[in-house]
Amino acid sequence: MSSHRLFRFPKPAWLNSANTRTAGVYTAGALFSLGFYILIDAAAFSKSALNGSDPPVHITFVDWIPGICSALGMLVINSIDKSRLSADSFSYSGNGVAWKARLVLFLGFALMAGGLAGAGAVLGLKYVVPEYPFPTLWMGVANVVANGLVMLSSVVLWVAQNMEDEYTYNLAL
Amino acid sequence: MAGLKTIIVLSFILAIGFLLVILSSALWHNYFPLLVVATYVIAPLPNWICSHAANPDDFMESAGSGVIDFGRFMTGFLVVMGVALPALLAHCHIIQVPAMVMSIIGGLLIYGTIVSFELFFQEEAEF
Repeated sequence: MSSHRLFRFPKPAWLNSANTRTAGVYTAGALFSLGFYILIDAAAFSKSALNGSDPPVHITFVDWIPGICSALGMLVINSIDKSRLSADSFSYSGNGVAWKARLVLFLGFALMAGGLAGAGAVLGLKYVVPEYPFPTLWMGVANVVANGLVMLSSVVLWVAQNMEDEYTYNLAL
Repeated sequence: MAGLKTIIVLSFILAIGFLLVILSSALWHNYFPLLVVATYVIAPLPNWICSHAANPDDFMESAGSGVIDFGRFMTGFLVVMGVALPALLAHCHIIQVPAMVMSIIGGLLIYGTIVSFELFFQEEAEF
């Protein structure tokens, strides 16, 4: 296993333990929750008495679209069985399973990147260009932060699950 | 290991946690912080359900670990929700900031009691 490695520095041993993997999954859930509640916070702030924007600015469905895209992308990416990705050779990829998996994965990544880019677009077009001051600007900033946190959560979950594959492989050998 | 003293101390901590949460809602006649109790009471449930739905020792079967991962993900989600919900309510002036602090501390005490109780139960079940 270690002789096939490309880089000089060895991977630290704690990266392959089952405990690190468990902690990674918990962390992913926590990050997703943080992003979700920042989004809800922006929506609640829009309805509360603190929102004193003079021409009233509220969270509309446009602000929700990037978050919905990111969450859908995360669902798509993490519902793929990762071991099918490398099964391209001859073993059990009968009808091009790896190809299909990569297509679905691409759709998931596109949804997620579209979510983050859409949050940036909403922040720019709806809040920065009309030059709103800060309490109103928070609704746009929260959107970007929430989508970034959902993306970070997905990355942590992906790394943790790949960790599990190598751990399983070591055990199986 | 888990003697009578442990149970007494844990129940005291649980009572203090509930007292803090109930005070945080009753002092301001605003009962939103009680949601924290509901969150922390259902926080251990996903792990419990999903660990019964799959066998963690069966590491050759990759289908089982997805369910367990989902349970852990939901637990992480609910634990952060217990802190994020009062912070959200305080940020939008639905509850006061002291109520937020009291309900977060009370909720963490309740959840800590639940988790340590589970730990002691697990140790007893191994014998």
